[in-house]
Amino acid sequence: MNTIAPSKNSPMIALTGVHKSYGNYEVLKGIDAEVARGEVVVICGPSGSGKSTLIRTVNRLEEIGSGSISCDGNNIHQPMPAKELNRLRSRIGFVFQSFNLFPHLSAIDNIAMSPMRVKGLQRDVAYAKATKLLERVGLADKANAFPAQLSGGQQQRVAIARALAMEPPVMLFDEPTSALDPEMVGEVLSVMKGLAADGMTMMCVTHEMGFARDVADRVWFIDQGQIVESARPEDFFSRPQTQRAQRFLSELRH
Amino acid sequence: MSNFDLSEILGNPEYVAMLLLGIKMTFVVAIGSWTLAMTLALLLLGLRYAPGPVGNAFVTAYVSYHRNVPTLVQLLLWYFGIFTLMPDPVTFWLNDHNAEAIFAVIGLGLCQAAYFSEDLRSGMRAVSPGQMEAARALGHSYVSAMRFVMVPQGSRNALPALINHSVSLFKNSSLAVAIGVAELTYAVKEIENLSFRTFESYLLVTVLYLVFSLMIMALGAYVARRADPVRSGRA
Ligand SMILES: Nc1ncnc2c1ncn2[C@@H]1O[C@H](COP(=O)(O)OP(=O)(O)OP(=O)(O)O)[C@@H](O)[C@H]1O
Ligand SMILES: [Mg+2]
Repeated sequence: MNTIAPSKNSPMIALTGVHKSYGNYEVLKGIDAEVARGEVVVICGPSGSGKSTLIRTVNRLEEIGSGSISCDGNNIHQPMPAKELNRLRSRIGFVFQSFNLFPHLSAIDNIAMSPMRVKGLQRDVAYAKATKLLERVGLADKANAFPAQLSGGQQQRVAIARALAMEPPVMLFDEPTSALDPEMVGEVLSVMKGLAADGMTMMCVTHEMGFARDVADRVWFIDQGQIVESARPEDFFSRPQTQRAQRFLSELRH
Repeated sequence: MSNFDLSEILGNPEYVAMLLLGIKMTFVVAIGSWTLAMTLALLLLGLRYAPGPVGNAFVTAYVSYHRNVPTLVQLLLWYFGIFTLMPDPVTFWLNDHNAEAIFAVIGLGLCQAAYFSEDLRSGMRAVSPGQMEAARALGHSYVSAMRFVMVPQGSRNALPALINHSVSLFKNSSLAVAIGVAELTYAVKEIENLSFRTFESYLLVTVLYLVFSLMIMALGAYVARRADPVRSGRA
């Protein structure tokens, strides 16, 4: 296995010539990009531009047609035994737009289950850690609540804690706040800001431009399956280079 | 013949003994075939999810036969058809061990397995695909995701249908009368023949089936409540 020893300088995520098609429809048309260790990248772009597809290829929830993706020194899309892929996936946190909490488990069980079942952590260790994570996302008092008893914002915070429980060096977010009522967006974003401040490497698909401005190191603007612009947020928002980005930003503001 | 009088039956120890034996056999057949059906249903479900088209095609054919041929005909085929084709030693052994009851359990169990496996399958299909994705994204293997995420939810979804079909199975145990199993319906026919109390006999058996069916439904409701994490008060 051509695993590159991860060094401080090697990128956390590197996408090289990534192509993907659904049948005849090409969704990703050659993506070349890198996310450095500790970097926060916000991905934005029009609906249907391929943002979700792109982020889902990083933990191989989607296969790619050609190109390669490495994450923390591992070549994600090379042929490998299922066991190895599961191990790699467990080291990439993923947060879904629709939370996807396990409805039959309480908040703390949602968080503690995978460290026990996937990593073989002792029960008491897993629960001690889950309790800490619930505190970190501000939900210590909801440990025994079931997802159906939590608000959307609370569910998404539990989902973030569940992903963090696997101790991944990188977290992917696919529109984590777009299923939420406006008054709950802030509580989820502030958890994400905390993560960024702690040095987590993050790739976030989001249209929360305030978050991008405050937290992101880079913004990738995607249109029609290509990264059209990659810039620091202050540059992207004040001086978008392409007409497509200008149009996108002006539509977003209205 | 005098007017309506249940005590003509319930006051007669011989008839009461016949009733009790009938009730016992009804439960033997019902519980035996339920257990067989549930075991087979899980195997059929496993075949459905096995890789390759063969398992799926087999289960489709199995389900189609058992759901589209009347249960009574299936029982008759087992007892008057397949039984007579079996080699002599098997036939002798079965005849020594209440062959009627054994074939009732086999016939009803195989038939009901088709319903149970479909109930479980629709329960599994009702689990949102996002659940499997979330489990895989956390690094669970397929088997682990099935075991800890999909099956607990799918079986819970299937509970109402499984309870309904368990009640049907209980009621269908009366079909065993057609192959001579001495269960409740059989016992009541005997009592009616001996006592000439036709209306009382069938009223009694009606009430008994009603009571037992309602008890099974109550048991099912209890299990469903226990299985619901929020309503069970574990929250
Ligand atoms: N499973 C699929 N089969 C076929 N086409 C698909 C599939 N998934 C996505 N697509 C198509 O691929 C394109 C990109 O989809 P994707 O979900 O990545 O877009 P997106 O940028 O995340 O959009 P949104 O902002 O609406 O979430 C869309 O045109 C979509 O219709
Ligand atoms: Mg999307």
